Amino acid sequence: MRRRATKHSFDSERLTPNTFAYILMLPAAIVMFGVVIYPFFYNVVLSFSNMSLRHFRDWHIIGFKQYAEVFSGKIFYSVFLKTVIWTAVNVFFHVTIGVLLALILNRKLFGKAAIRTLLILPWAIPQVIVALTWRSMFNYEYGAINLFIAQYLNMAPIEWLGKPLEAFSACIITNIWLGFPFMMTIALGGLQSIPQELYEAAEIDGASGWQKFWTVTAPLLKPVMIPAITLGIIWTFNNVNIIWLVSNGGEPSDQTHILVSYVYKAAFNLYRYGYAAALSMVIFLVLLTFSLVFLKRTRASEAAY
Amino acid sequence: MECWNAISKGLSRGIMKYRDFKFILSSFHYSTFPVLLSLGMLLGGCAKSTLEDPHQIVIWHQMRPDERVVLKAVLDKYMAENPGIKVTALYKETEELRSGFQIAAIGGAGPDIVYGPSDQVGPFQVMQIILPLDTLFSKEYLSKFDRKALVYSQGHLYQIADKIGNHLMLVYNKAIVHEPPKTMDELISMGKEFTYPPNNYGLVWNYTEPYFFIPFLTGCGGWVMDSLGNPTLDTPAMVSALKFMKALRDKYRIIPKSCDYETADALFKEGKAAMIINGPWSFGDYKKAGLDFGVARIPFITETGLWPAPMVSPVGYSINASVPAWKIHEVVKLIRFFLSVQVETEFTKHFNTIPTRIEAYDDPAVRDNTIVRESEYQMEVGRPMPIVAELRAIWDAMRPSYQAVLGGTESPERAAKEMQRNAVEKIKEMNE
Amino acid sequence: MRLKVKGQKSRGVNLRAKVVSLVLYLLLVGFTIVVLYPIVNVFSISLRPSDRLLSTSLSIIPHDASFHAYEALFTQTPFLLWFWNSVLISATVTITGVVLASTAGYAFSRFNFYGKKSAMVGLLVTQMFPPTMLLLPMYIMLLKLHLINSYLGIIVIYTSTALPFCVWQMKGYYDTIPFSLEEAARIDGATRWVAFRRVVLPLAAPALVITALFSFMTAWAEYVVAAQVLQDTSLFTLPLGLKQFESSMSTQWGLYAAASLIISIPAVALFLILSKWLISGLTLGSVKG
Repeated sequence: MRRRATKHSFDSERLTPNTFAYILMLPAAIVMFGVVIYPFFYNVVLSFSNMSLRHFRDWHIIGFKQYAEVFSGKIFYSVFLKTVIWTAVNVFFHVTIGVLLALILNRKLFGKAAIRTLLILPWAIPQVIVALTWRSMFNYEYGAINLFIAQYLNMAPIEWLGKPLEAFSACIITNIWLGFPFMMTIALGGLQSIPQELYEAAEIDGASGWQKFWTVTAPLLKPVMIPAITLGIIWTFNNVNIIWLVSNGGEPSDQTHILVSYVYKAAFNLYRYGYAAALSMVIFLVLLTFSLVFLKRTRASEAAY
Repeated sequence: MECWNAISKGLSRGIMKYRDFKFILSSFHYSTFPVLLSLGMLLGGCAKSTLEDPHQIVIWHQMRPDERVVLKAVLDKYMAENPGIKVTALYKETEELRSGFQIAAIGGAGPDIVYGPSDQVGPFQVMQIILPLDTLFSKEYLSKFDRKALVYSQGHLYQIADKIGNHLMLVYNKAIVHEPPKTMDELISMGKEFTYPPNNYGLVWNYTEPYFFIPFLTGCGGWVMDSLGNPTLDTPAMVSALKFMKALRDKYRIIPKSCDYETADALFKEGKAAMIINGPWSFGDYKKAGLDFGVARIPFITETGLWPAPMVSPVGYSINASVPAWKIHEVVKLIRFFLSVQVETEFTKHFNTIPTRIEAYDDPAVRDNTIVRESEYQMEVGRPMPIVAELRAIWDAMRPSYQAVLGGTESPERAAKEMQRNAVEKIKEMNE
Repeated sequence: MRLKVKGQKSRGVNLRAKVVSLVLYLLLVGFTIVVLYPIVNVFSISLRPSDRLLSTSLSIIPHDASFHAYEALFTQTPFLLWFWNSVLISATVTITGVVLASTAGYAFSRFNFYGKKSAMVGLLVTQMFPPTMLLLPMYIMLLKLHLINSYLGIIVIYTSTALPFCVWQMKGYYDTIPFSLEEAARIDGATRWVAFRRVVLPLAAPALVITALFSFMTAWAEYVVAAQVLQDTSLFTLPLGLKQFESSMSTQWGLYAAASLIISIPAVALFLILSKWLISGLTLGSVKG
């Protein structure tokens, strides 16, 4: 061991523990810093500017006007509400379906390895492809979903992409399909690290399956799921792909936008760069506040165990 | 305590896995990392913007896959004639071309030439990211073009087109329709004849998109904006056009309940729709699908005494404002090549496009082409697409209310008012 | 003891267990169908000649099925070149991602240094800015560094996209490895680096696999940044190539669907091969006492 150590270019032994930690972190820190910091400040500057179609090359700083514009427009609040619904519904189903499937797959079942592998597929397929496929499946006349509804459920076909609520639901359904394997995998990992003895102990105490879930599984799964849920919320909140591709850029009537897709539209379709940058800053601050509060609260409850 | 159990269990699993991974890990040294990084650098190379490269001309275009084949052949010829010049043609989807070009232009980069329909000239001109062409091409040279090919904005020339078109027409399946309808009444009765459930329709088209609704708006005497660029959406013409659309679907029932581009396309290609309203870009596809089809003018509306007028827009070349002065002549040379009679007729031969060089009209390939003749006949009543940035806001304002009328949630009268209000607001936002 | 308990249970319980597992099976099979259908649908489109996205028929294999699209993909388009480019970029991102995340994650897991907490939160914070608005400044940055049309810029951007998740997840896994192992190694005279490299890192193999997979996926399917940065068809990655078949009103759906499936295959294959590690290795938070 000792002889091998001298082969390395720096002798980590002579460093204080903290310096060693900084050196380990340095490469990652440089990459993150380099890529994130400049764009971030660029946006801060842009958000105080009047950059738009008419002031594309000759833009200048105009102060907080774009922020005022963001908050005075009615559209911000309705889009914000939709974003919250979008995030909440998606993450709720991701976690519920994910945990449910994980619980089933954690039992002894014939062929579960194969099924587990198949269930991970939506995660593996590029989002762009998924979105366009689902869009064609939501087609009114020929989409698989309407054909199914008409043939097997005996219901009238639904105009999925033509009406605001339906189109928004279509986006959500697509995204649920995409997102549950991640949560399922996390939950499975968590479940497998719960010692079997705990269940056996609970069984001897005469606990029912339901009670076992709430007294053993849930509390032990929670610390594993919380970080995943936090990330899931942030990713879903900022997921522009699905909304943009499934609803074809907010159709119908720009009624299916969430904040990020609205930012995209404002900047690249309506050339309102200053406004879009200000809106981005608002989104960023909303997510930041939320995450800090969420992490603090869940961490607090974690300590209580 | 339980947690320790969990950890030790996880640990034993980890060690088991380590055995499997030993071979990967043993061959992996952290010292290889810098080597790999520099390798990546070499592979990528440190490239400057292609605008600074005297030997390369980049063109962004929106040509369809089949057109790209001809484009490539044409460019290969150019490069053979001009050794030392490499022309890179890059396909960009409409929206992406716009957003990509804006972003590139902010950084003073991007392609040398952008090729596309004239409506993109409006915003590009306002943003000052394309060059005025008046001084780069002589008056004498420009006089060789059909006037519709020269796209002016704010008094300057910004685009020269090599084809005129993008106009909607009536396309019919000859196996079903022997003689195309001349009037809407004929179309409706014919439509009824060929519509039978569940999947056969008299007429299909992408009617959910406002661009495809324009012929009906103009057929009722309306238009999208006045000469100053102010929207004119809240008009009696708009209301009756909306009502007419609804009647086609709900009263005469000759079109599907809901129909986007892909639905219409699939129905027509499968022979389940007798007629489709579509543009010249689709003709090649239909030929490839083995359909025997004909094209005709969109039928006359007897009630108003008007021909439905589709929007007509030239498609052509503009130059990036960031092209350095020393390179301009090379770029101009390439554009002149694209605009030559030879190249234009080459495209006509393959895709029935309407050329812009006056000389080309005498070429037998153009003169004796029935589709080109029908196209010209349709365009006689067409209206040029306005070259202003505001058009974008108008489409965006029309779409929601128009789709709401089709969805049955709004009355045509209210929709017209809403469109107008929305358009005015969007234009104000855009011009802030 | 346990046998006795089981023996006391009646046959009714046995029957109930059977019913329960039947229901669970049905549920699983239902979900599997929902998962598979869209994929099968893409396959069906790829078999249809003359580029029909939609069809009035529900059958999976169209009556006029042909593999023409697949043939055309490999003979008439630079698909193989794009494939190679994607492999090159994704492989590099995978390696950089694993190296950077494994070291940084270790630092976060084992040391209590100044700014640790804020750095951890900072990583999460980078995920909060709307990615759409980062496109413009990133492009300008790369332009100033002369990295447009080069793989280096794109590799750095992809690495930074994948890093926050990877670092978090590496840290989570290291947390489950007891300190005592390194302590033992250190007592034996190993340096800190050796203790990490030879003792801890091998134990973290499952997590490294996940980091690798995640980095790979980030690069493999990315479109928006690549479209802005790579401006030469010979440099294109697969998603960019795929987009070439899509044009606003005349998409080559056959090619598009065939290419989609082929693009998905390496990613799916990786997931299949690694699915065993996936579950044990993906540890964002730990079951800590």
